[in-house]
Amino acid sequence: MKRWWHRWFRTPAELRAMGVVGINMRNGRFVLPNNPRRLYDLVDNKVRTKGLAEERGISVPKTYGVVANPGDVLRFEKMVEGYDSFVVKPVRGSGGKGVLVIAGREDGMYVKPSGARLSPAEVRHHLQNILAGLFSLGGKRDQALVEYKVMPDPTMMSISFQGAPDIRVVLFHGYPVLAMLRASTRESDGRSNLHQGAIGVGVDITTGVTVHAVHHGRSVDRHPDMKVPVIGVHVPEWDRILDIAVTCHEMTGLGYLGVDLMIDQNQGPIMIEVNARPGLAIQMANGVGLLKRLEPIAERHRAFPGDDRPTKIAFSKNSFAAKSPA
Amino acid sequence: MAARLKLIFIVLFLTLLGGGVAAYKHVRYGIPLLAGDKPSEWLVEAKVTFVAVGQPVTAKLALPTAKVGQDTGIDARSAGYSFVVDTDANKERVAIWSADSKEENQALYYRVRFPASGVESAGPLAPEGEAPEPVDPGLTGTLRDAGISVVRRVKELSSSPDTVFFGIFREITAIEASQEVALLKNEYERQAGPRGVVQLGIDLLNMAGVPARVAYGLRLEEVRGAQDPAYFVEYFDGVYWKIRNPDDPTTAPSQREFFIWNRGGDALLEVSDGGENSKVVFTSARVEIPLERLTDLRDSGILVATIFGLPASEQQIFKFVVLIPIGAFVVVLLRNIVGLATLGTFMPVLIALSLLEMTNVWDGLIMFVVIIAAGLWFRFLLSRLNLLVVPRVAACVVIVTLLMMLLSVVSFHLGMREGLKITLFPMIILAWTIERMSLIWEEEGKRSAMLQVGGSLLVAVVAFFFMKERQIRYWAFYFPELLLVLLAGIILIGRYTGYRLSELMRFKNFQSA
Repeated sequence: MKRWWHRWFRTPAELRAMGVVGINMRNGRFVLPNNPRRLYDLVDNKVRTKGLAEERGISVPKTYGVVANPGDVLRFEKMVEGYDSFVVKPVRGSGGKGVLVIAGREDGMYVKPSGARLSPAEVRHHLQNILAGLFSLGGKRDQALVEYKVMPDPTMMSISFQGAPDIRVVLFHGYPVLAMLRASTRESDGRSNLHQGAIGVGVDITTGVTVHAVHHGRSVDRHPDMKVPVIGVHVPEWDRILDIAVTCHEMTGLGYLGVDLMIDQNQGPIMIEVNARPGLAIQMANGVGLLKRLEPIAERHRAFPGDDRPTKIAFSKNSFAAKSPA
Repeated sequence: MAARLKLIFIVLFLTLLGGGVAAYKHVRYGIPLLAGDKPSEWLVEAKVTFVAVGQPVTAKLALPTAKVGQDTGIDARSAGYSFVVDTDANKERVAIWSADSKEENQALYYRVRFPASGVESAGPLAPEGEAPEPVDPGLTGTLRDAGISVVRRVKELSSSPDTVFFGIFREITAIEASQEVALLKNEYERQAGPRGVVQLGIDLLNMAGVPARVAYGLRLEEVRGAQDPAYFVEYFDGVYWKIRNPDDPTTAPSQREFFIWNRGGDALLEVSDGGENSKVVFTSARVEIPLERLTDLRDSGILVATIFGLPASEQQIFKFVVLIPIGAFVVVLLRNIVGLATLGTFMPVLIALSLLEMTNVWDGLIMFVVIIAAGLWFRFLLSRLNLLVVPRVAACVVIVTLLMMLLSVVSFHLGMREGLKITLFPMIILAWTIERMSLIWEEEGKRSAMLQVGGSLLVAVVAFFFMKERQIRYWAFYFPELLLVLLAGIILIGRYTGYRLSELMRFKNFQSA
C-alpha cells in the first residue's frame, strides 16, 4: 500500500507497525539497560577482545604486533617483515575509522586494495595519527594493531567489489536476532559502511542464505557494479558463524551486541570485532524491524533465563526463519 | 515500572520546586512573570580597586552630576569603610571611602540607575560663576614648538572655539598625521597611555585659547565583564561647556550610547598613600525589574535570589552563564527529537554564545563559514606535510587567528564593523572543528562533513534565537529556579525512546520482506 507521503517519510505509526527500532529506542531500551558501562572496554579495546576470543577458541586475525608508543613506529617495518598483506587498525577505533588495509607491496611501497600506493613514511604517519588518538572515542591516546589480512572466501568475493565483505550478527541476550552481509561497491571504495554506498544484504538466520538487499536504503537484487544477483547466496559455514557470535555474547557479557566476522578461504569464519552499539541499518538490509524479534527474545529470556548456546541458536532458527527465501 | 515511577516523581518534584519558587517570587515579591511590562533601566556600577598596604587609606571617586538615581548600596559600608558623599571646591560631588588599616586587594562599588533611553549627561553645561580661562599646559622645548605650530595652522583656518576644536581633532586623528602631531602623540601616549590622545587635544585647545578639560564616561552596552573609563573632551565655546567624543568629534555623544560619569576636569579617582595600583572600571547592565522589588528579593533569603546582592560586574557574567543551559536544551531537543547530526555535542552552544555578542547574526555566520572554508583549505595543504595531530591542530589555530585578523580588516573596509567582534569566536573550537571536519571529509566523504557542519550551524542558530529572546533571558536571569523545570524537560527527553524526525525520513524506503 503506497501512500503519497512515502516518497518523503513514514509516519511513526507505520514504522512502529513494522517494528522498526530508532536510535533513541535502541539506546534507551536495549543498549543502556543491558550493556553495563564497565563491559565496554572489553569490546572497545580490540586487543582485549581478541585475547578473550582466543581463550574461547574463536579464530581471530593473527596479531603481527601492537604499536603502543612512538618508539614502536620505527619498529613497524620489522613487525610486518615477511607479510605481503596486513591490516593496521586503531585498538580503540570504531565504525571502521582509521583502518588501513595493505593488500601487497611493490618496489618498497605499500599498495592498498584500490591500487593506491603508500610510502613507508605515509604508513608511519598513519600510525602516528592513530597513536595521537585521532580515531579513538573521545580523542584519547591510542595504540595501533597490526594484524593478518583476511583472504576472503571466493563465494563472498563474488558479490563484492574489491573489499572483502563482512558479516554482522546482532544478538540480544545471546539469541541471534538479525544478520547481514555488507559488500563493498565501487562507490564505497573497498569499505563496508552502508552510508558510504556499500550494499547491505540480509541473511536468513535459519539457513544462512541471503534474502534481501539494500543499496542507499532502497531494495536491490543485484550488485550495482558487478550485476550479479546478491539474493540466494549461501554464506559458508553458517552454523559456525552463529556459534562464534553467541560465544562472543558469552565472553563479553553484553546483552545487546553486534559481532562482525569475515570468512577466510583457509581458516573459515574469523571474528573481527564486537560492537556494543550496533547500527540500525541491519533492519533495512533484512526488511525486518528489530522489534519484531527483540520482543519475542525478551519474552523467551524472561521465561528461560538458563538457555544454553545450542538452545539459543535453535530458538532463533525456529522462530526467525525468513518468510520467503527468494 | 519502578524506574518509571521514580522518573515521574523526579520530574514532578523538579517542576514543582522550580515552578513553586518562581510563583512564590511572583506572588510574594511582585516580580513580574513577563518581561516588557515596564521599560528596562540601566544600572551603571563603578568598581574601584586598589591594593591596600596596611595604612590609613582614603579613596575619592568623582560622581555623576546628572539627575540619576544613585544607590550607595550596602556594598559601600559593608567592606569596613566609612563612607560619605561630599561636595568639593568645584561643587562636584565626590564619594569618599576611608578606613584605618586595610590589607590586600580592595574593591568598592558605587551604582547609579537611569531609564533605558539614557540620561542627558553630555549636554551643554553653563559654567559655574565666571567664564573659565584657558590653562597653559606648560609644554617646553620641542613639544612646545610643535604644539604652537599645530595651533597656528589650525587657527589660520578657523576662529570660533567649535571650528578650532574640529581643526585640532582633525589634525590629531588624521591617518597621515603631520610631523608635529606625530611627535606630540608619541610623547603623550608614552606618558598617559590610551588617555594620551584626549589629553593632547585638551592641551592644544588650551594653547589655542579655548578652555578645555577631560570628562569620563562609558559605553552603554551589555557585555561580559567591565569596561575601562572612556575619555571625552569638554571644551568651552564661550557660553557653554560642550562634550565631544574624540573618535567622533562632529556631534555630542548620544545619550543612548554613552553615559558621562563625571565632567569638570578633576581626577576621576584619587587614592591616598595607603593604596596602590588603584583603578576604576565600569559595568553597565540592563535591569528589567523595579529597584524596590529587586532589593526586597535580594534581602528575601531565597537562595537563588542572593545573586542580586552581588556586584553588577559579577551579575553580568551570570546573565550569560544562565543562558548556557538554554543552549544545551536546544541541542538535546534537536539531536534527540529532531535527529540533526552535529560536530561535537555542545560545540553549537559555544558558537551560539559567540553569535550573541554580535548585533547581526548573519554577518557572524558568514564569517564562521568563511573561516571554516578557508581553514579547511589550509588544512588540506597542511595534511601534505604529514604533521602529527597536536601540532597540526595548533597550526590550525595560528591559521584561524591570521584569518580572523584578515577578515576583520576586510570587513572593516567593507563597512561591516561587526567583523571586528569575530575574535570572540572560540578559536580552539574552530580549529578543532576544522580538524574534525577534514577527517570526516576524508573518511566519510564531503556530504557527511557538510551535513554535520551544516547541522551544527543550524543548531547554533536555533540556540542563538532562543538565547537572544528577551523573555527567555528574563526568565533565566530573574527566575533561575525555572532551570529546574528545564532540567525536568531534559530528563524527560532523556527517556524518550520514540523515533527521531530524521528517522521518519531515513526509513522511508523500509519494506517488510
